[in-house]
Amino acid sequence: MKNERKTNLILNMDQDQLGDFFPLLQKGVTVEAHVGCSLELLLTHQWQIPAEYAAQRITTIFLNSRPIDSLATAIINEDAVIALSGAMPGLVGATMRRGGYYAAMREGITHHATNGNVVDRNATVRVKLFNLLLPELGPGFLQRGIIIPAGELSRFFNGKSEHFWQGCRSALLDNFPILPHLLSREDLFPDQSTVRLSVNFPNS
Amino acid sequence: MDKIARIDMGAAGGPKVTVGDLGEYAGLGGRAMTSLMVAAEVHPLAHPLGAENKLVISPGMLSGTTGSMTGRLSVGCKSPLTGTIKESNAGGQAAQVLARLGYAAVVLEGKPEGDDLYKIVINKDGIQVIVDNSLKLMDNYPLVAKLRQEYGDKVAYMTIGSAGERKLLAASIACTDPELRPTRHCGRGGVGAVMGAKRVKAIIIDDAGMKMRPPKDPEKYRDANRKFVEGLRKHPVTGEGLPAYGTNVLTNVLNEAGGYPTNNFKSGQFADSAKLSGETQAALEIQRGGSATHGCHRGCVIQCSGIYNDKDGNYVTKQPEYETVWSHGGHCGISNLDTVAKLDYMDDNIGVDTIEMGVTIGVAMDAGLAEFGDDAAAIRLMEEVEKGTPLGRVLGSGAAITGKVFGVERVPVVKDQALPAYDPRAVQGIGVTYATTTQGADHTAGYAIATNILKVGGDVDPLKTEGQIELSRNLQIATAAIDSTGMCLFIAFAIMDQPETFQALLDMLGSFHGITMTGDDVVALGKKVLSAERDFNTRAGFTKHHDRLPRFFYNEPIAPHNQTFMMKDEELDEVFNW
Ligand code: SF4
Repeated sequence: MKNERKTNLILNMDQDQLGDFFPLLQKGVTVEAHVGCSLELLLTHQWQIPAEYAAQRITTIFLNSRPIDSLATAIINEDAVIALSGAMPGLVGATMRRGGYYAAMREGITHHATNGNVVDRNATVRVKLFNLLLPELGPGFLQRGIIIPAGELSRFFNGKSEHFWQGCRSALLDNFPILPHLLSREDLFPDQSTVRLSVNFPNS
Repeated sequence: MDKIARIDMGAAGGPKVTVGDLGEYAGLGGRAMTSLMVAAEVHPLAHPLGAENKLVISPGMLSGTTGSMTGRLSVGCKSPLTGTIKESNAGGQAAQVLARLGYAAVVLEGKPEGDDLYKIVINKDGIQVIVDNSLKLMDNYPLVAKLRQEYGDKVAYMTIGSAGERKLLAASIACTDPELRPTRHCGRGGVGAVMGAKRVKAIIIDDAGMKMRPPKDPEKYRDANRKFVEGLRKHPVTGEGLPAYGTNVLTNVLNEAGGYPTNNFKSGQFADSAKLSGETQAALEIQRGGSATHGCHRGCVIQCSGIYNDKDGNYVTKQPEYETVWSHGGHCGISNLDTVAKLDYMDDNIGVDTIEMGVTIGVAMDAGLAEFGDDAAAIRLMEEVEKGTPLGRVLGSGAAITGKVFGVERVPVVKDQALPAYDPRAVQGIGVTYATTTQGADHTAGYAIATNILKVGGDVDPLKTEGQIELSRNLQIATAAIDSTGMCLFIAFAIMDQPETFQALLDMLGSFHGITMTGDDVVALGKKVLSAERDFNTRAGFTKHHDRLPRFFYNEPIAPHNQTFMMKDEELDEVFNW
C-alpha cells in the first residue's frame, strides 16, 4: 500500500440513496485488506461476512477474472481483483457457479490453487459487487471505506441530482463538517490525490 | 388441444382451411410438434421460401392451462437463414389463446400466386383467411394498433413487420404481450420470412367463449402447480435475480469472466460494461417510471422482463434482454442503454431478430461501414433495414451474408446463424453446443436444465473436461424436451437445484394427461425430437463438417485469458452418438 496522504471523507446518507453508489460498486472499488491469506479468511474474518451467507448467497466469485471453485485454496495477492455475485441464470450463469455441476464447461479459465510465496501484509485489493449482493454487502464495504481517485469521485458527485444531496444528512472532510452541496465542486480535492470515502446508512 | 388446422395458402381458388384430428402427432406440443411435423412433411431440399416449406405454429403441451410458466409458443419450418430445420419460440399471449381454442398446431402450407396479403382470424367459430392489402409494408407497432381498432384488445396477435414481407433472413414473427405490444418474437432463423413468403401478415387469435384446458386429474394438477410455483419463488435465481434484474444480470458476470464478446469478438471484456449491466438498467427503468419486473405472458411468476422508458417517462420498448443488450451494446462498442433500447424497439417494429441484427451491425462495423462505438451510425444502419434499401436488405439478411458481401473474415456464425453473447473461447463448453446444435449457433439449444437429476446418458463426471461433450449432449436433449412442454426455459435453475421442483413439473405433465411421467420419459422425448431434427438436417445435406465453429475461434486467442477454442473435431462428432 502506497503511503501517500489521503483525504478522508465521511458521509451520512439516507437509506434511499444507497442505490446511487451501486455504479461505483459494480465497476469496482479499492479497499484496504490484509493480503497473503485465503479468500475464505478475507471474506469471513476480515470482511466479517458470515460463512453461511458466503456459502449460500455468494455463489459466483471471480479472482482476477477467473471463476473460483474453492475459497480455501484461492490466495489473495496485493492488487487482486475480486468480483462477488449471486446466482446467475442461464447455462453460462450455471457454469460460473462455484463448484457447480457445469464448472467443466469453463475449465480453461478456472482459477486453480495459487502457487508460490505470497507475502502476508497490509495492502489494497479491488472489489466488485454484482446483482443481489449490491444492496446486501454494499453498505458494509461503504461503511468500512473505499479508496477512490479524486477525479473519479468528483465525476461521481457531479452527476448527482438534488434528491441525492437532500439525502446526504452530513459530511465530514478530514474531520471538519462541510456542506454536502460543496462536494460537487471540482476543485475540492487536490488533483491526482486519492480519497478515503466512508458512507454510513442508518441501518448499516 | 385435439385438432390441427392446415391452411393451404396456395390452394386453387384461394386459401383453404382444413381442420383434422391429431393422428400421429397426438400428445405433442411445442418443439416436439413443430420438429416432428417438419421432419416428416417438408422435403429436406425444399426452398425455405417456396411452396414446399411449411410453417408450423404450436403451443406447448401445457399451454392454455392454469399452470404457471406454460405460455411459450413454438414456430417451426425449414430455416431460410440456416437451411436446417428450425424451431423458434417466444412468450406473449398467443400460445395460451391458441391452446384454449383447441389447436395443437396451425400449419401454413403452400404459397399463393400474386401479390395479395392475408390476415388469418382464428376464433371459436373457426378460421377465416381474409385478403387485406391495407396492411402492406406496415411495421409491427402501427400494424397491431390498426388491427386493434378492428379486433379489439381481448385477442392475441402474431404479426410480421416489413422485414418479413421483404423475406429478409433475419425476419421474426412478433407475438403480443399482455399489454398488446408486439414485443415477444420468434426471432431466430428467419421464420418471419417464411410467413412473409406465404403472404400472411397477421394472425388474430381470439379465445372468447373458451375455457382453460382441463387437466385429467385437476386436484393433482393444482397441487403440482402450487409446489412448482413455490419452488420457483424460493430459488434465488427465479425468485430474486431474474425478477429484479432480468437476464441482463449476466453482463457484469460475463464481462468479469472475460467471456463478453466485444467489438465483433475481438476482446472478451468491454471497459464500459457496467453502463450496460442489468443492475444499471433496472435502476434506470425504475427511476424513469417504467418497471424492472414484468411478465411476457399471463401466468409467468418469474417475470424476467420489464418496461424501458425514455428520460421523460414515455414508453420506448420492453426491457431488452441480455443477448440484445450485448449484440447492440458491447459487440458494437456501444455503451448507451438508450441507444440499445431504441435499436431493440426498431428490431421489434421492423420484425427482425435482435441477436442477428446486432451481430450483423458489428460485422458491418468491422467492414468499415461505421466505427465501433458510433451510436448514430448503428441507428442509421437499422434505418436502412427499415426502408428496405439494397444495403438494408443485405444487413437484414444477417451476419453471414453481410460478411460475404463486404469481405469480412471474422464472422461469428454457425450454419450461418449469428452466435449469441457468450464467447466460446472463454466458456468452451458452450462452444460445443454452438457448433453441434441442429439449429445453428444457439445458446438456448443446450440451456441449463436438470441433467444432473435426469442423468441423461448415464452418470457424467462434469468436473472432467471430457465431460463437456456429455454435458452438451444432455443439455440439448433436456432442452428439446422442455421446449416441447411450453414451459419457459428460465425454470431451469429451480428444477436443476431443487429435485422437488423438478418432480412437481413431472407431476404437472403427468396429472394433466392422466399418466405417470418420469425423468426417463422426458429424456426419451428430448432424444426423439433431436433425432428427427438431425435426420432432417442430414437429408438436407448437412454433415459433421458443418458442426464446427468459424476458424477464427481456433486461431485468434482472446483477451484477457488469451485462449482459443480447443475442442477437437472428433470430440464434437461424439455429441450425437447415443
Ligand atoms: S421468465 Fe421471462 S421469458 Fe420466461 S415467461 Fe416469464 S417473462 Fe417470459
